[in-house]
Amino acid sequence: MTDATATSKATISKLIPVAAPLALLAVLAAFPLLGPGPNGIRLLFVTLVWVTTSVAWNLLGGFAGQVSFGFAVFYGLGAYSTAMSLNAGLDRPVSLLIGAAVAVTASLFIGLPTFRLRGPYFAIATIGVSEAVRVVMTNVAVTGGASGYRLSEHGNFNQLLHFYTALSVAVIAVAVSIFVRRSKFGLALVAIREDEDAASDLGVNPFRTKLLAHALAAALTGAAGGVYTGYAAFIYPQGVFGFDISVAILLMPIIGGVGTVWGPVVGALVYGFVHEELIASFPQLHLLLYGSLLILIILFEPGGVMGLLGKIVRFARSRSGRGAHS
Amino acid sequence: MTTVDVMNLFVSAVLLAGVYAAMSVGMTIIYGVMKIVNLAHAGFLMLGAYFVFELYTQFHVDPLIGALLAFPVFFSLGVGIHWLLIRRIPRSDQPTLTSLLLLFGLWLVLQNLGYLIWGNADRAILTPRTFSTLQIGPIIFPTIRLVVFGAAVASLLALEFVLHKTWFGRAVRALMQNSDAGRLVGVNVEGTARVAFGVGIAFAGTAGGLLAMMYSFTPDFGGSFLLRAFVIIVLGGLESFAGVAIGSLILALVETFSILAIPAGYQPAIAFSLLVLALVILPEGVAGLWNKRQRWT
Repeated sequence: MTDATATSKATISKLIPVAAPLALLAVLAAFPLLGPGPNGIRLLFVTLVWVTTSVAWNLLGGFAGQVSFGFAVFYGLGAYSTAMSLNAGLDRPVSLLIGAAVAVTASLFIGLPTFRLRGPYFAIATIGVSEAVRVVMTNVAVTGGASGYRLSEHGNFNQLLHFYTALSVAVIAVAVSIFVRRSKFGLALVAIREDEDAASDLGVNPFRTKLLAHALAAALTGAAGGVYTGYAAFIYPQGVFGFDISVAILLMPIIGGVGTVWGPVVGALVYGFVHEELIASFPQLHLLLYGSLLILIILFEPGGVMGLLGKIVRFARSRSGRGAHS
Repeated sequence: MTTVDVMNLFVSAVLLAGVYAAMSVGMTIIYGVMKIVNLAHAGFLMLGAYFVFELYTQFHVDPLIGALLAFPVFFSLGVGIHWLLIRRIPRSDQPTLTSLLLLFGLWLVLQNLGYLIWGNADRAILTPRTFSTLQIGPIIFPTIRLVVFGAAVASLLALEFVLHKTWFGRAVRALMQNSDAGRLVGVNVEGTARVAFGVGIAFAGTAGGLLAMMYSFTPDFGGSFLLRAFVIIVLGGLESFAGVAIGSLILALVETFSILAIPAGYQPAIAFSLLVLALVILPEGVAGLWNKRQRWT
């Protein structure tokens, strides 16, 4: 093997992490031009909303190891406050920001009492919070209670506008995730996940760090809820605060691989495309399947799809490496 | 509102607290010994309810005996699940991502198996006892609540006896206080954990059966009780059995008397508000308050 091919191989393997996401982005951006029809665009739109929430959950659950079972709260609050802002006549980006801001406020409400303490308090609180918020929203009169809230949109419905909004928000989420992974803040999160005592000995403030990660994740999830509302134009408490939303948001990064940048994206793509089929063929069984999947992944491949891919690549390399030597 | 009304509410709160204690104690045992938050607790409550229901409708077994029978059955189920799933995850002094997600997955599986088997229709166990009442002076006791309260208290007393008078109980208490020290003095950690998990699930099953005598249920039954159980063990300081009793009483009193001020629609939000309040004011639970006082004196 000559030096030249070795260097080019090295540059290629360095380029892949940069080129592959850009290629994926180009394909996604050009997707509507390929003529997939309104239903294809809708499916991809929903998947992009899931990508955003999945990447957001991973910021806190994957990097910092803080499991939340209540991300539907941020999704739902984002959805409702975006809808109300749009109805009040604000334009779309401002409304999405308001949705994100409301979600951040909610995240502080959960995080301030629970992150101060060691132990399972945070995970426990998140189980209750989405149920409590759903109950309150079902009874609040301003938003129509259980009968839901309607978005009265002016002008024509433009599916592509919603598609590109979802794509931009998903790109922002992934960019935030990449940035966090490479920053000192991300290192602090991983340190907290591995050993909170050691992290605080090294000068990391676990409380503030977790709170910030939670707020960041909440903002992205709230914006995702807002993007969804803009498209759906009708929301109701059971739909956006539902338990299955929380389940979906935590399941996707686990399918793909928690604690990695691309795992949650892969997980969301898999989930987005499989879920529709699954819910059509097994309307009763899909949560049973998701539960079993969760157990199997945790027991046998905690790294998810990314972990599995890594193992396959390593296996293939060791095989070819052995071949070269013999 | 008269004094009699207040007395009636107070009595019903105390009766409710007994059931709440039986419902939460299983979670406390499992958390104390293994530092695992049993998120599947709700699933076992639900299975307990349907177990008693099926025994009653198919074989006309009295629900009270059914709840008693649930204990050994759910104990075996718990030991089986420990063998199949729980022992495979790494042990830790803190609830890990792995254990939380595993038990959450188990909850989803149990709940949806329930939907698969029994559908989503509301079920209830109606016996001649269900609507009868017992009047002592001006205070009215619903018979079923008295019976359920008695059964719950009896099971808690039995647990208290086992924890303080048997070697298994001593091992459990040793592991709850300090698992490393427990191992040093020769406690079989794996074996104790297995039995403790079994006992925790057995209490969940029995409590589910007892609750089923008072409330109607669907496969989603345990969910609201799961949050209540959390509130109770957080109020109780996570690892204390006396704390569970006090936590149950606090929650039952707050829930019962809040009906006077807060519309029934908001009821499920009360447990959560109490949880947040407990975390802010009493992060170590009522037992923590007790310890602090002891430290001061």
